[in-house]
Amino acid sequence: MTAPDPEQARAHQESSLESRYRKLLHAAPDAILEVNEEGRILILNEAAERMFGYSRSELLELSVDQLVPASMRGGHAQHRAAYAKRPNTRPMGTGLELQGQRKDGSLFPVEISLSPNWIEGSLHVIASVRDITERKAVQDRIRLLREQYTAELTIKNEQLESRNREVEHANRQKNEFLASMSHELRTPLHTIIGFSELLAEQLEGPLGEKQQRFVGHILQDARHLLELINEILDISKIESGRLELKREPFDFSQCVEEVLGGIRYQAATKNITLENQNRFQSSLHADRLRVKEILYNLLSNAVKFTPEGGRVWVEAFSQGDTLHVSVCDTGIGIPEKEHPSIFEKFYQVGDASGGTREGTGLGLPITKHLVELHGGTVSVESRPGQGSRFRLTFPLRPAT
Amino acid sequence: MKKILIADDKATSRELLRTVLERQGYAVTEAADGEEALQKALAETPDLILLDLQMPRRTGYEVLGELRKDPRHAELPIIALTASAMQGDREKALAAGFTAYLAKPVALVHLREEVQRLLLLKDFETAGENG
Repeated sequence: MTAPDPEQARAHQESSLESRYRKLLHAAPDAILEVNEEGRILILNEAAERMFGYSRSELLELSVDQLVPASMRGGHAQHRAAYAKRPNTRPMGTGLELQGQRKDGSLFPVEISLSPNWIEGSLHVIASVRDITERKAVQDRIRLLREQYTAELTIKNEQLESRNREVEHANRQKNEFLASMSHELRTPLHTIIGFSELLAEQLEGPLGEKQQRFVGHILQDARHLLELINEILDISKIESGRLELKREPFDFSQCVEEVLGGIRYQAATKNITLENQNRFQSSLHADRLRVKEILYNLLSNAVKFTPEGGRVWVEAFSQGDTLHVSVCDTGIGIPEKEHPSIFEKFYQVGDASGGTREGTGLGLPITKHLVELHGGTVSVESRPGQGSRFRLTFPLRPAT
Repeated sequence: MKKILIADDKATSRELLRTVLERQGYAVTEAADGEEALQKALAETPDLILLDLQMPRRTGYEVLGELRKDPRHAELPIIALTASAMQGDREKALAAGFTAYLAKPVALVHLREEVQRLLLLKDFETAGENG
């Protein structure tokens, strides 16, 4: 056994440390080069060999300028000189797309970080070169996808806009058609109803009993036709969202009286008793004409479906912030299974039971829409042979 | 005798209105389109005009516009008549300067009442100015 030589131990230790630094250098995935003032490569790691495709010995013979693309090579010496004037650690060519050139002449995108290293009074530069081919590929792919996506989105938006325009156009045409159809139908009805009224007044000469009855039929059916036209127009306005309420405070009990007055003749011909059981004597803030239309629709239905000698009545009272209205009759009633359908468009009571059809089947759907536009509700209680009760609610303080 | 001008391109409608109004004791003249309506209104100075809105040559709105430019006709009762029943038609007609609005089909009782009311109102206002 000999005592260890301290000199030898220190050398061993140093060489071991150097070897560890070398391994560290070679383990780096980036190419690391030390270059002197003339641009000669003095130190390099294994990554540099792999990245540029030169052997270690070849690189040690090269100027660093050879690793720059041929097209940029002329300016590179100047860049090195400029760095020497302000040597600090910084990325090279910030904002520029840098490229390296392999031994086989192929180019690849790089990112380079430069640091000064003073060796015995002369400036060496440590260049750390990162191959960013993959990163750029991913970035390019992302950019491409984004461009494709944006382009597709633009096309989709344009298609959507054009579709919207088509729908708007079709809707406008439908509305214009309805408006002109309504005008065209009402124009002859104006003279049919007018001349019938003139004849019925008998100011132009007396009519026989039969003639009076016939003129009465013409008038009644012409007015019915007018109601149907109005209903079709109403439902189309409701569906296109163009029906607007004109709310104002009005005397509800007077409104009930007016509607009952309008239905009195119909009721009298069937010997039906009309009763007003309204207990709400204040004013209602709503669209007066539409509320009349709602009551008229329900009352005329009640009279229509109540047999000779029956009873039709209106109840109304307020409770809290709600006005409750019921239109009731002692009529033929509606089977429970038809209750959900009667507020649907074009449904006719009796469809399921094979009864006769009359009207458009639009009265109740319009009524329901009008009540709901007011923020109210409508429901029905009825059984065959035991009459019907249509319940309405109206908010007394409508949401503003 | 009060003079009423009826402007409507439908002959049957003119006959209906003429029959009703003559029986009320008014003197009635007719026009079959907007241009004729304007010429007769200017030449014959009626006491009231029933003006259909949709007519050939000039619409009711155009005739109204021309008449209202003339100070002599600024206060003349002019009733808009239309078979169009779109929401807002009445408001639009009244805002344009029509004195009243009647939708076709017109109930005869409304026609008589409206004409009588407007003529009475006119007499009352004229008396007020003169007295």
